[in-house]
Amino acid sequence: MTELSGRPLAIASPSNKPTLYGWLFDAYPSGTGMAVWLIDADGQAHMFHDDFTPVFYVRGPRQDLHDLCQMLRARREPVELDRTERIDLFLDHPVEVLRVGVRSPGLLPRLFRQVADFNPYLTYYDADIPLPQRYVLTRQVFPLAHCAVEHEAGQIRHIQALDTPWEIDYRLPPLRVMAMRLGGELRNPARGHRGDLLVQIEGEEYPFKREHGRELVLGIRHLLERHDPDVLVTAYGDSYLLPRLLELSRHYGISLPLNRDPDQAIAHKPARSYFSYGRIVFSDEQHLLFGRWHVDRQNAFLGDDYGLDGALEIARLSGLPVQTVARVSTGTGISAMQVSTAWRRGVLVPWQKRQPESLKTGLDLLAADKGGLVYAPLMGLHEHVAELDFTAMYPSIMVHFNLSPETVGAKCCEGVPVPELGTPVCNHRQGLVPETLAPLLEKRNQYKARIRELPEDDPRKEIFRRRYSAHKWLLVTCFGYLGYKNARFGRIEAHEAVTAYGREVLLRAKELVEARGFRVLHLYVDGLWIDKPGASQRPNYEALLDEIRAQTGLQIGLEGVYRWLAFLPSRVEARVPVANRYFGTFEDGSTKVRGIEARRHDTPNFVRETQLGMLAILAEGQGVAGFRAAVPAAIEYAARQLHRLRSGQVPVRELLVTHRLSRQPDEYIARTVAARVALELTQAGVSLSPGEKLRFLLVPGPEKARAWELIQGEIPYDRQAYLQLFIRAIESLLAPVGVDQSTLETWLLGQTSYWGPVGVLPPPGTDGRWPLLANARPVGAEHSLLATSAFREIQRECFALTRQAA
Amino acid sequence: MGRTLPSITQTFLQEQQSLARFRRALRLDDQRALDDLLAASRHHLAEAAYASHLLPFEIMLLAMLVEEHKQVLRLREELETLRWDARSLSTSSPRPASGGQTGRGQEHSKP
Repeated sequence: MTELSGRPLAIASPSNKPTLYGWLFDAYPSGTGMAVWLIDADGQAHMFHDDFTPVFYVRGPRQDLHDLCQMLRARREPVELDRTERIDLFLDHPVEVLRVGVRSPGLLPRLFRQVADFNPYLTYYDADIPLPQRYVLTRQVFPLAHCAVEHEAGQIRHIQALDTPWEIDYRLPPLRVMAMRLGGELRNPARGHRGDLLVQIEGEEYPFKREHGRELVLGIRHLLERHDPDVLVTAYGDSYLLPRLLELSRHYGISLPLNRDPDQAIAHKPARSYFSYGRIVFSDEQHLLFGRWHVDRQNAFLGDDYGLDGALEIARLSGLPVQTVARVSTGTGISAMQVSTAWRRGVLVPWQKRQPESLKTGLDLLAADKGGLVYAPLMGLHEHVAELDFTAMYPSIMVHFNLSPETVGAKCCEGVPVPELGTPVCNHRQGLVPETLAPLLEKRNQYKARIRELPEDDPRKEIFRRRYSAHKWLLVTCFGYLGYKNARFGRIEAHEAVTAYGREVLLRAKELVEARGFRVLHLYVDGLWIDKPGASQRPNYEALLDEIRAQTGLQIGLEGVYRWLAFLPSRVEARVPVANRYFGTFEDGSTKVRGIEARRHDTPNFVRETQLGMLAILAEGQGVAGFRAAVPAAIEYAARQLHRLRSGQVPVRELLVTHRLSRQPDEYIARTVAARVALELTQAGVSLSPGEKLRFLLVPGPEKARAWELIQGEIPYDRQAYLQLFIRAIESLLAPVGVDQSTLETWLLGQTSYWGPVGVLPPPGTDGRWPLLANARPVGAEHSLLATSAFREIQRECFALTRQAA
Repeated sequence: MGRTLPSITQTFLQEQQSLARFRRALRLDDQRALDDLLAASRHHLAEAAYASHLLPFEIMLLAMLVEEHKQVLRLREELETLRWDARSLSTSSPRPASGGQTGRGQEHSKP
């Protein structure tokens, strides 16, 4: 069968060929087609072959296309060439193109490179869509689809999906999982950690001694043959376990069937460092299997958040293979989903998009080149504050206002002008991006509702939560990809239109909220923090939310009403608030923390635990007064933690500081702590790349820090350095009630206080610089300064002067 | 990240930097007052960004005025309260419960 983009395949007539029912597990190029793996309901794996000719298209002057055909024929490449018409997304009309079908799918990447090198000035389409994705799109199936396969002598005659990627509660194949890791603490073996190999399968654990290499390889081979696992889940399998196993297998001359398909060699992709969102990211090398999945938990993107359940959901939605999804960012997933939409529409997918930013005047640029609204909150401690959040604001805006690279600035109709910018947005056809996102938003809403309905003990609840989280990441990245010039469907004008609508919607909500008598404490891109006397319960906000929904057309929800909420000042300039540094407790007792130490990735566990422990105590306070009343108990807890720290009782594991390497170890000029650790590791023979994470312990003495991987057992830590981090974390929590570093040191290190027991706060309004003056002055209205005889004297004089002036 | 124009915070810092020599020449007390004004204008960076004004320093000046005027209004309110207190003390009538300068249920961190 030949790939025909966008044209549905005819459903084959009923035949007497044997039919297999199972889940589509893997597909990759093999010979003149694809090797396709299915797993049936009994967990049995089946491999088939399916003839498949992937296609790419070329547009350009007739003579150039003619030369290209001549070149391909002269080289006797296995290609089919003909002329046809297809629709270009940005031109919105059919164009004449040369269709190049490659009879050996595996050759397509190399062949396309040759063609592109031969004439780089032609326009190429559908050229770099991954082959597994092309295959599932052509056959109208998807990874992990439940399929009916008619086959004959190992060849697929017809394959049909029996479910859709939009099912909520779908069935997955029974998978046999083999887990592999090194013994001892989970440390990176590439940094020198060694241990015995532990293999778990079907409830049994098999340890293999590292010094007995031959037995180890034979043992693994035996387990692979006996259990035939579908998935190999490893810790550091990509960078260490698999390459080491392959090395041992070569050394002893014992074949190791890590691949299920014996005709394929394990695919290897080298490690790389790249720059993304202002920081260096490291992506480790990869070892991918055929007919079996290899998932390395330590080399998975956001694996902790949505896990394998989320990765399977993304694979089903995007059409990308599971092994790929487990290793790439969700941006690749959303991009693949957009490719699928284009494919289904029969629209060509450009290889290198030629859509430069349109010319703008300086004033246009000034208006357009902006992000979301980020206000400075009203600093301090507040009570009964409600947080309203627009649900998936930017994707919803794209869907609601039809924002897509081909609809923004389109000249096909008059369109609807974007607020602030005036750019017209086509309103007579749905954009490609909205078409992709609308069902995703809908599915996400359904999962949200199901999660709410299901009882706590239902096992599906956690699975649904992970799929919901995977959707969240897909939606988060879709906005970034719209503004990324190299993204297939990215266009800066569409990106600017989204933020312009975002600002408009938020300001409309603000105006409405203020008109209803609420005070706006903070605005942050898609969230509003508001309060009003007497509005301290959820029902007080229902009518307001309905009104905002009606006015803006977008979904908005109440994140919760806070018992108390603190917006913190900047660490650099105490007079200035920071938009994203706050913490608070909702009415149900749950806390929300942003920007403080507990949320930072580099904070040692012990400091995080102390901060969250104190927060749990403060959370008991019902309002501002309750928060103040809970301070002594929180300080008492901190003092106990401090005692553990100062007496050296905290385990090394709890004190590790994490740092991301921003350059090559030898490129550091200043001898920072991270530079020292990088140097220590390099000297121990470890090779490091920018973007890799370092974990180290701060130690006393000139060396200052030591890499975790090189520490054996418990060693002394730098108590003074950790004390500073500790005090800093507590100060973040208590700064809203005026407790600063020196007060904390008096309380925690001196065990004394001005105001009775340690932790008791001075009366409100006391000047922190002269706290004892408050003691010298009697407090209370009847004894206030206003009532003193001296003040009455001044008053009388003032009145006299005023009368005279009058 | 991917922006052509400097962000409003960068613009603010540039404007602040351009005042460095002026600030240096000011007396210490005046330096503190200037810092207060600059901090006040930083409270309105989001609004300044939204305004997309060609001369952001004008917006910064307006933001300072807004904060100054708020302070004037607060002080006026406080003065009224004190006047009322003073009158009620001289006539010994009870003082009505009026709002003070701080918002309800709100505490500010130490300056």
